Amino acid sequence: MSLALPLGLVWVGAAVTALLDGRRRSVAWLAVGVLGAGFVSLCVLLALVLVDGPRTIVAGDWPAGVGIALRADALGAVFAVLSMGVLLAGLAYEVVDEVESRKTPALVLFMGAGLTGVFLTADIFNFYVFFELTMVAAYAVSTYGGERHQIGAGFIFAIVNLLGTFLFLIGLAAIYTVTGTLDMDGVGVALARTDPTAVALIGVSVLVAFSIKLGLFPFHFWLPPVYVGATPGVAAMLSGAVANVGSYGLLRFGGDLLPDLFAAGAGVLAVLGSASIVYGAIQAISRRSASEVLAYSAIGQVGYVLIALAVGGPVGYAAAILYAIVNALNKTLLFLTVRVRGWLVGTCFAIGALSVAGVPPSAGFFGKVELFRAGIEARSAVLVALIFLGGALSFVYMFQIYQRDFWRDQHEPSAGRALRVPGVLLALVVLVLGLWPEPLLAVSREAAAALTGGRG
Amino acid sequence: MTLAFALAAGVLAGSGAYLALKNDLLRVVAGIVLIANAANLTLMASGRTRGESPILPVEGEISDPLVQAMTLTALVIGFAVIALLLSLVYRVYTGYDTLDLDELSKEEARHAREIDQQARDDDDAAEAEGR
Repeated sequence: MSLALPLGLVWVGAAVTALLDGRRRSVAWLAVGVLGAGFVSLCVLLALVLVDGPRTIVAGDWPAGVGIALRADALGAVFAVLSMGVLLAGLAYEVVDEVESRKTPALVLFMGAGLTGVFLTADIFNFYVFFELTMVAAYAVSTYGGERHQIGAGFIFAIVNLLGTFLFLIGLAAIYTVTGTLDMDGVGVALARTDPTAVALIGVSVLVAFSIKLGLFPFHFWLPPVYVGATPGVAAMLSGAVANVGSYGLLRFGGDLLPDLFAAGAGVLAVLGSASIVYGAIQAISRRSASEVLAYSAIGQVGYVLIALAVGGPVGYAAAILYAIVNALNKTLLFLTVRVRGWLVGTCFAIGALSVAGVPPSAGFFGKVELFRAGIEARSAVLVALIFLGGALSFVYMFQIYQRDFWRDQHEPSAGRALRVPGVLLALVVLVLGLWPEPLLAVSREAAAALTGGRG
Repeated sequence: MTLAFALAAGVLAGSGAYLALKNDLLRVVAGIVLIANAANLTLMASGRTRGESPILPVEGEISDPLVQAMTLTALVIGFAVIALLLSLVYRVYTGYDTLDLDELSKEEARHAREIDQQARDDDDAAEAEGR
């Protein structure tokens, strides 16, 4: 199977649906179908990559070093599958709930094409192009619903993230000027031989750019209004799929291209991550409405990924990848269930809440186990204590929502039954991964092995 | 030459930052345009060789064509992003009848208070019912 198939499929689907009226049910379901086909082809690709190793194609059959390459390794493929699955669930939720705007399904497809490209490219400039495609679609999708506070939040979202993007572009120019190549492998080799001062400047610009996307602590201020204002499906897509660009970018640029720098700056990463965890958890506990709690929880949860990155090495990177996967699944599940009522959805929400807190039998338990393992590997009692504290705090705020919204308020008019399906399916995924975690653990170790820093 | 590029990009980014911190949304967008161009200029300046235009037949030293291709792409993307930002500004204007950023943050704060109050009222109602 060609590597370009998932990318081309979603891209062509996006261009076609952009011409049609997305409010019509047939068009909206066509968009869901295209995402589904993209998801299936990416799953096949992931399986092939895990069996045969990374695959590469060079666009236009140019000789190596001249043409622009697409490459799927375990890390990229697993993030691509995850993001496409999240987009599929989010869009299906919105379509069942009635699409109000003609362009939304097409925009989600463009987001899917952009994300697939980001995860499957081997060229840093193409990374920027796909990343920008994803973000532009995300800015437009975040205003879905058309309420005025949403548009205000969307504007600030766009401005802040654009500043991050330009910073990344400047970092990219710096990478090119010191290495003379745009191919990721070549960049990694050349950067290892470059003057550490230049590398440090590049590293800082890349770290800040991806931290803004992730909503890490000092760069988070755009995030709560956007997540609170967005409809559940859109909030799920932003937190479960678009935020993956940040985690993947940190893993790819930090773990793969700049491993020495990230090892040297581990202290900074650990402090940023800890600040995120504590700030997110305390803010979440003080909030009363469910969507606000989830927004601040998103800030807290990405802190764990950063802490695992700070530990580094095979164990740290595997923990970071596993936690990023589990966190994306959790956030999607919680956003998709939080506004639906009934005992079934209540149970699904509880599974998501347990997963965030890291209680078995949910996938989140293994996320936390790997983090503890990374903390012990780093021989840091502070990290272990912090992970435990963060878990305890998240248990408190998640069950505060559960108590307020699902125990008491059961007579709210319940939405259609079909609206429960995406949430229930995701809850099953989280539960199954919690009961049978070996594939997930194996995939995250394999993906960590694809990183230069993970090999050493 | 590098110094000239650095100065120009620095002045652009500085003026852009100054405008982006203004209260008027259109000035914020103008600031983003300037910062985008500072990034484009940096990309242009990151070329590894300078000389004649890289068109066949070439004689002697040529300019690095790769950065020109990259800058062109970045310019086009920047152009699309600015168009999107302007359309967002327009929608903010039709929604709020103002382009003042202070008004926007007041609205954001008001909305946050509103949903918080709503959640608290629901809590109280549920508690009263429980008794």
